[in-house]
This record gives sequence, C-alpha cells and structure tokens, in this order.
Amino acid sequence: MKRSNRLGTGFQSNEEIRKRNTQRIKTVADRSMARVVGPRKIWSRALLFKLRNRARIQVGLRKRCLVSKKKKVLGKEKKVQVISREPNRADNLRKLVPGGDSMDICSLLEETAHYIKCLATQVKVMQSIADLYST
Amino acid sequence: MINRALLPAGGGENMLHCTDMTVLERQRARIKWQQEQQQQFQLQQQEISYFTELADVFHQAGFHEGGLSEVVTRSVKPDPGLVDNGWNNDHVGGYGVGLPYNNGLGFELNYGAISRTSSCPPEVVAAVAAATVKGSESVVSDKISSGAGRESSKKRKVDKIQNNSKVVAEEDTRDKRIKGCAEQGESKITEKNNNKNSRNNNTNKNNNSNKENSDETSKDNSKVSEVQKPDYIHVRARRGQATDSHSLAERVRREKISERMKYLQDLVPGCDKITGKAGMLDEIINYVQSLQRQVEFLSMKLAAANPRLDFNVDNLFAKEAFPACSINFPTIGMSSDMTNPAYLQFNPAQQQLLACCGLGMGIDPPDMALKRTTSAPVSIPETFLDSSCFTQTHPPPTWDADLQNLYNVAFDQGRQTSFQTQPFTGDVKLSCLFLSALY
Repeated sequence: MKRSNRLGTGFQSNEEIRKRNTQRIKTVADRSMARVVGPRKIWSRALLFKLRNRARIQVGLRKRCLVSKKKKVLGKEKKVQVISREPNRADNLRKLVPGGDSMDICSLLEETAHYIKCLATQVKVMQSIADLYST
Repeated sequence: MINRALLPAGGGENMLHCTDMTVLERQRARIKWQQEQQQQFQLQQQEISYFTELADVFHQAGFHEGGLSEVVTRSVKPDPGLVDNGWNNDHVGGYGVGLPYNNGLGFELNYGAISRTSSCPPEVVAAVAAATVKGSESVVSDKISSGAGRESSKKRKVDKIQNNSKVVAEEDTRDKRIKGCAEQGESKITEKNNNKNSRNNNTNKNNNSNKENSDETSKDNSKVSEVQKPDYIHVRARRGQATDSHSLAERVRREKISERMKYLQDLVPGCDKITGKAGMLDEIINYVQSLQRQVEFLSMKLAAANPRLDFNVDNLFAKEAFPACSINFPTIGMSSDMTNPAYLQFNPAQQQLLACCGLGMGIDPPDMALKRTTSAPVSIPETFLDSSCFTQTHPPPTWDADLQNLYNVAFDQGRQTSFQTQPFTGDVKLSCLFLSALY
C-alpha cells in the first residue's frame, strides 16, 4: 500500500485517510513487535531496518513533496548482501519472513518459528485492543 | 526420581532408587555378572574426572535455560569427593525441584535408554547421564530413547560377550554421548557402538574420527551453542552408515532441520497429519500469510474504529522515544493479579487499561516444556522470560506523560467501559508500545 503524497493541506478523501491510518497502525504494530524482540533475532533486525528506511523515505518525501528516486535507490543499496541460490521450495517462506533472503534453511526455520510466535502474539494483542475499542 | 546413585560394588552398596525396577534388576544382574574389583577402582578414578568434565561441559555449553541450567549445574558440579558416598540428597533434591515439568515417566525413559545402551554402566554415571540428559534439552526423551531401546537391546547381547576392560571405551562413549546431550540434545546419543571393533581396539580410532567430525561440525556448533570456545558435537556413526566426516556433518545438519520442522509442526495448528517437508513448508507458508493478513485486517479495523485525522505516529518514530520505555514493565511476573502498583508506578486506572490490552497471552508451563524440547527455539522462551525480568526503574517522565495522555484521551472519547481485569500474563511491552504509539 503506497502512501499518497500530501501536498500541503490538500484535501483527502476519507478513504485515503483510512488507508493511511491502516498503514500507520500496521507499521506501529510491526515496529513495536520488532522492538520487543530487540536485535536478538535476524528477522527483527531486518524488520526494524526496513521500517526505519521506509520512515526515512517518507519523511524526506513529506519535506520535499517530491519523489526522490535517489533516496529510494540509496535505501535499497544499503540493504544486505544478495545470496544467489538455486530455486528452492523455501523461497516463498523467505519472502514472507523479514530478512529471510540471507539465511540458510536451518536458521530460516528457527527464525520462522520465532516469527510465528511473535505474530500470533501480535494478533492477540491487536485483537484485544480492537475489542476494547469496539465495546 | 533418583535419590541417590552409588558405585556398583560387589558389596552391594547400590542404593539406587529408581521406580523402574525391572531395568534396575536387569542392570544389577548384568553388573554382578561383569564385575571385577579392578574395574571398580578404575571407575572411581574415571568418575571423578568425569564429573569435573561434566561440570565443565555444562559451563561451556552455556545453557540457555537460565535457572534450569543453573540448577543442573549446581547439582552436577558438586565435589568429586562425594562420589564415594553418592550424591547429597540436597543436590539431587535441588535437581528434582528444578525440573518440575519433567515428569517421572520421561525420566525413566531416559534412564532406561542410557542404561540399556551400555553393558557395564556404573550406576552413578548412568544416573548422572540420565540426569544430564534430563537437564539438557531432551529431544532424547521420546523418540530417541525408544529407538535406542529397540536397537540396543539387540546389541546388548552382543556386547555381553565381549566386555571387560572396555571401561575406557565406555567412559568415552558415554562421555561423548553426554556431551552430545549437553550440546542440546542432538541424536548422537541414541546409538550405541555398533561395531565390536571400535569397542575393542579402536578407541583411538574413534577418538580420531570424532575429532574429525568435530572439526567439520564445529562451525555449526559455534553458531548453535553461542559459546566462546568452539564446542564439538561428538557424533557416532550408526550401524551400516557411512562414517566419513562429510556424511556425518550432513547428518547432523539434516537432523537439526528435522528437529526444527518438528517444532514448527507443533507450532502451526493442524499439521499433525502432514508428513514430509514439502507439505509442511506449504502449511507454514500459509499460516504465516494468514497471520500477516490478520494483522493487516486488525489494523484496518482499528483505523476504522479510530477516525482521528491526526495520527502522530511518525513523530514518535523519529524521536525514538521507545528504548527508554522498554525496560519498565514486568510482564509475566504480574501474571497472578494486578497488585503491583510499585512496579508500574501508575495509577490503578492505568493499570486496568494496560491489563485489558495485554490479554490472553498466557505462556503456560506445558508450552514452555514444549519449547524446551528442541534446541532450535531456545530463544523463544528466552524472549518471553526476558520480558519478565525487568528491573524496577522509574519510568521516564515522558512515558508517564504519554500514558496519562493516552488514558485521558481514552476517557475523553467516552470509551469508558467497565474494565475487566483479566490475568495479565502476556507481553505488556508490546501492547504498551503499541498503545502509546497510537496516540
């Protein structure tokens, strides 16, 4: 979901606002989850890195109101090394787990297990918060 | 539970109490049959060195199990001088206490496995072996012990024939088996020496091949065990399998992967019937996707329920105000009731709000036990345990202010509901961060 550029005080439809808020909430959730785990896990580090880059880009966008290709390229270049492998069954899993590209199968499975646990916890937390708001 | 384990002596000093009497009787018969005085003396000597070695192994292995490892280490560590009189009851008692979730059955299984796999075990060492196996993360307990039992019962007969001064070899094998256990329960333990040769003459050869293995697998180990010194996983070749270092290392790797797959199978609901890695992988992928979709859906729901135009989230991120806050919340420690105002230093109303939000994420002991059965997700209990070990520090004023605002806003919006104080067993940090960032 791409964020729309906010040009000054332009009007935005409710739809867009909601989309943007959704994105923000999701970002918050992911970020807090990754923070809780800390730098101990590969996926949490990767997730924090990704979110931080995204935030930086967004801040830059808002300041200049321009799509700066340079920044995006820079952001991506900073990313971790690319490991080329023969196509594997676990490729889809790598895409799902943050930071999964640079892991071998063994640690991928370990990280996946931890990631699943944390995702489940996150879902529970959000569910309870949603319940709190809906009552 | 083992109360005391003593040397097997001709004088019947056995005071081994084990509920599995059949195993014990068998063992006793075997020992009587094989006994020699010199052996006994040798055993004593070796056990002393063995105990010290064990203690070292435990220290090296750097158990992630926190308190558990300390208990085990404490109970294992004791004075070698106590060998003659067996363990102190205190030690063993402490050990027993430290493992509340390991029921006697599993313990017996282990004990049986170890005892069956060697023909002349001094009972002390066997007990220690069982104890250490218990102490370490025991993948061993279920599948391996049963497998070992079956296989080794055949071999036992073979071994009864040849015997004698293989004590050294046996010490070595048990040694290595224990080390293997200490290395987080990989399945090296299972197999007894299949080949007569290795037992008779080629202890040296075994040592050499093991060292080769260890060289191969040391990289793996240094990743796995997170220890300063390189620890070696000692692998024993199974009967009828290749013994070169490459295939052994590969076997270790494969077993690690299957171990983790097993854990994932338990984690992902509805995967009991699926056998095979491909199907499991698909299921895992589906489950992760569904969880991520759920998160997205819930965030949409929250956004809809909160039609505020002014989400100040990004500023919070930029300020990076979180790290200071992350230390202050005892979580699991508050599981029983919300009666820790001292900890939180919030007013009761805020506590209630927090309580409602960090709900329903109990981590019950069976779950923890499951986690401990495999080496892979060692860090998972660690994560949740860590969050419970927070120190009581003053929450920084900003955090207080944030939560005050949060709380006030929540009330201002007329969302005042009757808060149910549910058991607060979950990860408060997560929910608090989440909430604070929302406002």
